[in-house]
This record gives sequence, C-alpha cells and structure tokens, in this order.
Amino acid sequence: MTSYKLNYETVKSNILPPISLHLHDSHTTAIYSDTDMQAELIDTILRNGDITIFDRKDGLYERLSVGDNVTFYHKWFGCTIPLPEILVMFELQTCTKKPLRKCTHFELARVYYARYFMTNTYPKVFQEPIQGVDIKTINIFLNMLQKLTENKTPTLILVSNMEHALLLSDVAYRLQDKGLLKIEVDAEVMEKDTDEEPAPALSTAKLFKVPAKIEDKVILFDPTEIDYIESQDGKAMIVVNHESFSLDSTLTEIEKTLEVYGFYRCHRSYIVNLQKVREIITWSKNTYSLRIDNQAKSTIPLARTKIQGIQDMFNLK
Amino acid sequence: MNTQRIGAIFEKDFKDFMKNMMLLTMPVIPIILAIIYSRLGDGEELPIPMLYLIVGVTFSSVTASSMMTMMAEENEKKTLRGLMLSPASFMDIIIGKSLVVGLMTLISLIISLALVGIEPFLNVQAIIGLLLLFLFFLFLGIGIGLFTNSIAATSAYLMPVMFLFGFTPMIDFLGLGEDSLAITIANYFPIMQLIEMHDTNSWLPIGIVAIWTLAAAIFTYICFKKEKTDD
Repeated sequence: MTSYKLNYETVKSNILPPISLHLHDSHTTAIYSDTDMQAELIDTILRNGDITIFDRKDGLYERLSVGDNVTFYHKWFGCTIPLPEILVMFELQTCTKKPLRKCTHFELARVYYARYFMTNTYPKVFQEPIQGVDIKTINIFLNMLQKLTENKTPTLILVSNMEHALLLSDVAYRLQDKGLLKIEVDAEVMEKDTDEEPAPALSTAKLFKVPAKIEDKVILFDPTEIDYIESQDGKAMIVVNHESFSLDSTLTEIEKTLEVYGFYRCHRSYIVNLQKVREIITWSKNTYSLRIDNQAKSTIPLARTKIQGIQDMFNLK
Repeated sequence: MNTQRIGAIFEKDFKDFMKNMMLLTMPVIPIILAIIYSRLGDGEELPIPMLYLIVGVTFSSVTASSMMTMMAEENEKKTLRGLMLSPASFMDIIIGKSLVVGLMTLISLIISLALVGIEPFLNVQAIIGLLLLFLFFLFLGIGIGLFTNSIAATSAYLMPVMFLFGFTPMIDFLGLGEDSLAITIANYFPIMQLIEMHDTNSWLPIGIVAIWTLAAAIFTYICFKKEKTDD
C-alpha cells in the first residue's frame, strides 16, 4: 500500500492550522470543514504542488455535443480506457448527440466527472463533487471512486457537509482551527448498551420534551419536530430543517430517552426520527442513506450494521 | 509537441467552428466582397491593389479575427484551465487552432480570388508573399488572443488590425497628398509592399514583409511571456 503525503505543516496561514495527511491509495479520504477553511486548504494545495482540483468551475465546450466533448478530452489526455467504456461508465451513452447547452445539470456534472477521471493528475482531489446532483449521478460518482481505488490512485474529497463526507469516503477527517480530527465511522465499535434495562422514565413520556440551548435561552423541542440528531465533537446537535441546536447530553444518553418516540440510532454519529424518514437509498458500493422528509431534503448516513434494524422496524424483507 | 493532442484540438475546434455562427460568417465576408468587385469591373480584370484589398480583408477578417475570437472564448469560459498540464501543451493548442484557421483562410481566399481572377498570384514570389502575410496576421491574432479575456473585447482590437493592415490600399481614397507622411509610412506596410512587388518584381518587398512577420512573431512571444508571468 503506497500513499501520497500532503504536508502543509510549515505553511503560514491565519486560518489554516498546520496539516500533514497521508492519502492511501486503497481508500478514499474526505476532509470536512467549513467553506472558509476549505477555500484556504484548496489555495494551499494549489500553491504547493502540481495538483489539479476538480471543482466544476472551469468551462466545457457548450456548443459541442456530449460525445464531442468527451472524445476531445479522451484524445487530449491520451486516456487508455476505450471511449465507449468511459461513456457507459458515466452513463452518457444516451446523450452523446446532445449539445452541452441543452444538457441537464446532472449530465453536465457527469461530463465533468468523466473529464477529471481521464486527466492524469495524481492524486485526485475533488471539491464538493456531489453538491446538488441527483441520486443516479451520486451513484455514478461512487462507482468512479471505486475505480480510482482499484487503479491505486489516492483520492481526497473536500466537502462542507458531513453527510457527504461519510457517504463518499472510507476515512473522514474534520478540519478545524486545532487541526485535523479523524471522524470515527466504524459502527462496529459502537458501545453495546442494548442489554440495559429500559429507562424507567416511561411513565412521564407524555410530558417529554428535548431541551436545547441557544445562546442563553433554553428551547424545548417536541420529539416529533426533530428531524434527526447528529454528533459534532462529541456533542449532540438537534437538526430541525436547516437549523441545528446543541444539546447538553451525548448521543448515547439522548438515544435512550428518545427510543420510545421512534428514534433510531442509524449511525455512530446520527439518531434519526423514523417518522420523518421518506426514503432508504441504497448506493452501489453497499452503503446506505436515509432521506428525511423535511424542506432541506437532508440525507443522513445509515451504517451497514444498522440496516437490519431498520428493515425489522419497518417489516421489510 | 504532441501530434495526438494537436489532432484532438484540431478536430474539436473544427467542429466548434462549424457550429459557431460568429466565426462561420467571417470567411463569407471576403467572398461577398469579391462578388461585388467582380460585378463592378464589367468583366475587365481588377487592378492589383483591388486584389490585395480582398487578400487583406481575408487575412484580417478570417485569420486574425477567428484566431482572436477562438482564444478569447477559451479565456472567457476558462475552458483551458483543466487542459494546461505543461507549457508544451499550450503550443499544441495554438498549433491545432492555427491549422483550423489556416484551413478556413485557404478556402475563403481561394474562392474569393477565383471570383476576381487568381492569375496574378500564380507564381512563387506571390505565393511566398501571401504565406508571409498569412503568418503575419496569424501571429497578430494569437498575440491579441492571448491577452483578451472576452469575445466582446476582440472586436475592439480587431478594428485597428483590420484598418491598418487589412485595408491599407484604401489609403489612396483618403485624398492625402502623394508625398504626405501618412502615405510614405503606409507604403512600408506589408500589403503595400506586396503590391509594389508586382510592379517591380524585386525580392526586396518580400524581405520587408518578412521583417513585419518577424516583428509580429516577437509581439506574440512577448504576449506569451507576459501571460505566463501573470498566472
């Protein structure tokens, strides 16, 4: 197993902490951070080496058809994979004749993927690759990541959305002022607390509200209002539509009290309100997500070991 | 230099040229001009300065202008960003584009000259002259294309090129005195030199045009260096 080392420990920056990271070629790495930090990181990567970053900001040839564009890039980069295979891989075979300016947003994203896939940059760095694309396109992107791993190309994905980081990568990091912090994703290591006795608080369940703090106020949430609860830096955060509110307790504590309201721990760092789950999405590489029925249409990760529990709960199979 | 890449650029730009109305109308201009002039001449052969006017229009409106437009469009839409992996690939892009422009110029020039009478150009000296003139306009187009960042700006840069170098024979119509400074200077411009070449049959005008071409090449090189350091 070889790896590519990103070393920015000596870089002077007001925003970016010193970072050094090994990108292994056998798995995909993701860095989750806010957009300011991400911009600074990209700037640093560009200044310190010959890496081209995928960002969908540069143009394609709009007058030409999808086929002409891909053919051109295929020839230009001297790609060794046959052209028809590339077209099929990115599911562009049905729209080869279509001029780019008539293509949908998703088809364009796939042309961008195809182009970046064919370039010979090493390692591959993606910035927000699946923002605003549909499920089919995300699946195509996941397939491409798998192909990159098979080809032993180290891959780094920069996102500002934790769900995307967990979905796309095998190893995810959070980038903060203090530095890089690994996000634990193995659901297997989760504490086993299922054999404990049910909480005696059941009798007062009707009165139960979840208290969350915002500045110096305490807001009480009805469990049915909550979309899901995620863990950030060990602290539980209630997410209601676009807003999140921090809780005082940890995920494990809140999980116990909310179980009776139909909440389910679907991932190490997520508890979902099952009443609000609209869709269970199965991605190609045997990973899953839950789509929440809220305005933001959020998707949250569903751990592989937790799929069985969900299926039992909804009597699926 | 990489022939596969040059081929890729050539193919891409050729297809793009065919779909771009703005570029596609350019080669038609000299042809229309040639049709009008051939009607004016009442079947007589047109004088050499008139023929060179058509040559000048072809080179400025087809060669220089399409080159500028194509490069400005790449700059404007940032389509080259992902392609530039090494400075060598930039040469491939320019060569590939020049081939497309060369082909279009050739087609347009042959059709328009065939309409007005191609005979005066069918000798080695005249062909060398035309070739140097083509390179001169091509270099101007590349140089300007390197630093323009929008298609709209190219028309502003195209005007001086067109009027100074493309329409030079028209200076006679301005009614300036025969020995005025403007006329004396204009007589050293590439197209005027080529007209003189037809009168005198000497090789000196070819030399002067070659110097112009060299100057245009240096101009392109300076633009190229400046672009590189700006990035």
